[in-house]
Amino acid sequence: MAKPSVDVCIVGSGAGGAPMALTLGQAGFKVVVLEKGPWYTKDDFVHDEILSSRRNFFMPLPWDEPHLWKKDTANFQRTNEAWTANCVGGGTVHMSGFFYRLKPVDFRLKTLLGAVKGANVADWPIAYSDLAPYYDKAEEELGVSGNAVPHKFLEPRKKNYPLPPLGEHPVAFELEKAARSLGWQAIPTARGITSIPYQGRAACVYCTLCGSYGCEHDAKSSTLASLIPKALATKNVELRPRCMATQVLTDDKGLAKSVLYLDEDGVTQEQPARVVVVSATSVESARLLLASKSSRFANGLGNDSGQLGKNLVFSSFGQSRAIFRVSKQKAAHPWLEAQAPFVNRSLQDFYVMPDDRFGFKKGGTLGFMLAHPNPIYAGVKLAGKGKDGVFGASLKQKLAEYKDSRIVEFEIYGEFLPTDGTFVSLAENVKDKYGLPVAAISVQRHPTDLVMTKFLVERGEELLQSLDPQSVERIGVQGETTILQGGTCRFGADPATSFLDKNCRAHAVKNLYVVDGSFLPSSGGVPITLTIVANSFRVADALVAQLKHG
Amino acid sequence: MTDGQDPAWRERLSRRVFVNRLTFMGGGVVLLGSACKDEPKPKKPSPRLPEALVSSHRTFTDDEWATLTAAVDRVLPKDEGAAGALEAGVPEYVDRILQTQELRRMKDDFIPGLAALDRRAQRLFKVPFAHAADHQKDEVLTLFKDSPESSGEAKWYEILVVLTMEGFLGDPSYGGNRGEVGWKAVGFTLVGRNVKADPKSGYDGAKTLDALRCGGGKGC
Repeated sequence: MAKPSVDVCIVGSGAGGAPMALTLGQAGFKVVVLEKGPWYTKDDFVHDEILSSRRNFFMPLPWDEPHLWKKDTANFQRTNEAWTANCVGGGTVHMSGFFYRLKPVDFRLKTLLGAVKGANVADWPIAYSDLAPYYDKAEEELGVSGNAVPHKFLEPRKKNYPLPPLGEHPVAFELEKAARSLGWQAIPTARGITSIPYQGRAACVYCTLCGSYGCEHDAKSSTLASLIPKALATKNVELRPRCMATQVLTDDKGLAKSVLYLDEDGVTQEQPARVVVVSATSVESARLLLASKSSRFANGLGNDSGQLGKNLVFSSFGQSRAIFRVSKQKAAHPWLEAQAPFVNRSLQDFYVMPDDRFGFKKGGTLGFMLAHPNPIYAGVKLAGKGKDGVFGASLKQKLAEYKDSRIVEFEIYGEFLPTDGTFVSLAENVKDKYGLPVAAISVQRHPTDLVMTKFLVERGEELLQSLDPQSVERIGVQGETTILQGGTCRFGADPATSFLDKNCRAHAVKNLYVVDGSFLPSSGGVPITLTIVANSFRVADALVAQLKHG
Repeated sequence: MTDGQDPAWRERLSRRVFVNRLTFMGGGVVLLGSACKDEPKPKKPSPRLPEALVSSHRTFTDDEWATLTAAVDRVLPKDEGAAGALEAGVPEYVDRILQTQELRRMKDDFIPGLAALDRRAQRLFKVPFAHAADHQKDEVLTLFKDSPESSGEAKWYEILVVLTMEGFLGDPSYGGNRGEVGWKAVGFTLVGRNVKADPKSGYDGAKTLDALRCGGGKGC
């Protein structure tokens, strides 16, 4: 039997779902949030690498809930790629919290690049100035620490960050010097972490285990720590954990009328609502909508255009690391012995190139950091495998060298051009533990992405080399960061080429919204978490206005 | 649940996908049991090795336990610089972690690999793996390590290394990394450390893992 109807039912409690719940709750609307994962509290967050990073505390196991993954002409394989944390707060709980804004140029990629062969580049239906006030709001509500300094691609902003920057490892200043000597500028990276007590939350204790862990001090600005408590305090929001949405149902007019879900006991429930908001990540939102078929929408809810699931984008990934030997090099580089965990420096000198002499025009960001200290991860990498693998005395030697090392690395957040070959579909014949068809992810990278990523990695390596390390190792130049995902429900003015309108409402279903990264027509050259939060606040204001005026 | 109903995909499945980087989040590699599909089931426990390393092992027969212990000792031997797998309690960790529900598939794949290791030692050196000389053990392990990537031997070796590292460098509450000898060996220190590794905290990672099946946290 159906539950009592509410104004809005939101699927997902992460970066997209939580701002929506907060805004609607504050405006007096009755909201139910369905979250497929458990509701962890601070006490559940433990510095246990096995639990947090290597099992299903955050990510589902690939035999329980696989994603199918296929790159180019390879066969589909079952993976846990492209999941973010399944828990209240979603991916914001285990994120590193690199909170960049997009730049005005990201909103008009087509204008910048023109038509690109093999890529579906598009301008956004809104401008940076439309989102700017909501970036301000997102930074305030979540709690973002940083220091905006002038540089050639600084996005326009009214004021500095709400919290001062976190304490930094002295290598940050070495990077600044080295960048200057190369004619570049190492700028501070803003973080979704509290540098001082903020809104009842404690300040960061610099524990070193941040990304891939939940924060036991509520210092990380997850929606679990920041927005959700505020939303619940309105008394208008009910959050139901361990409730897996399976289908959005429609009425005979083709409007969304309710969300079907499996509750924590595996019992099917129906939550009717005036408005349905989907925010389960680009991949999972597309999966839910593709599975929500009806006589009116045979190809998935609202999918008149056939655009649902299309133009999936990730973040282009490349990485290199500089290895220093502390015992041999500490005299020359005293900073090697400092223990602070955060570097928080970025290079954005190659965000947009003046011309295409290097084979690309739109680049991205290099984010510098110390290597994550997870020891099992490091140990497994050092042991290697196959003919390059080592064990016994050789492995012990490598572990000893690792102990005597400092590793400074960067990763690339590069533009990921949308292609016809990168999309989400429904794998009707492969079912998850709920018996539901899983998402199949096809990936076909645009060659320009790889040229761009390699160029950025080479610049980063130049910078690392100038720090005088013992060695620089390249990790890769052709990857994609799948926890940063966008597209599948593009927003745009034209219902023929986009799924959502500019307010992230489905063109074909007037009471269906999607507010995770799915709306993004382009990936931008930064991690998009803050952008998802800001956009959800923007859409929430539009929805409130619509609900108030009938 | 697709559990056990579709062996074909498990054979097609490449562990490589899971050994990929996840550095954005600090590198989580999900353990996945998919190896050794072609290996026969282990032999029944035999009465040899009566001196067997006394333990309360529950996952392994005495023979398997002896083989496991000998294998992890070669992966991370004790030396004058730092403790090895045995001081850390790696076999005890493996025994315990393979009792968890999440790794039931890995357990089914891992155990036959121990018998395979033994058979290889028998064929080459006429002794069980645990009784072979160190250089002979290393030769057998190297054969497994260097086998073609898709082979059961290579995949089993990968799981052996992963389990050894987890037992050496994981939270001590799981039974390995005794006295944090593994963390000391790699210089892993937690600034402002959460105290769950402290036995007095009563934390038990393996129990928490099992609790995940019913949720953990609110809503369980």
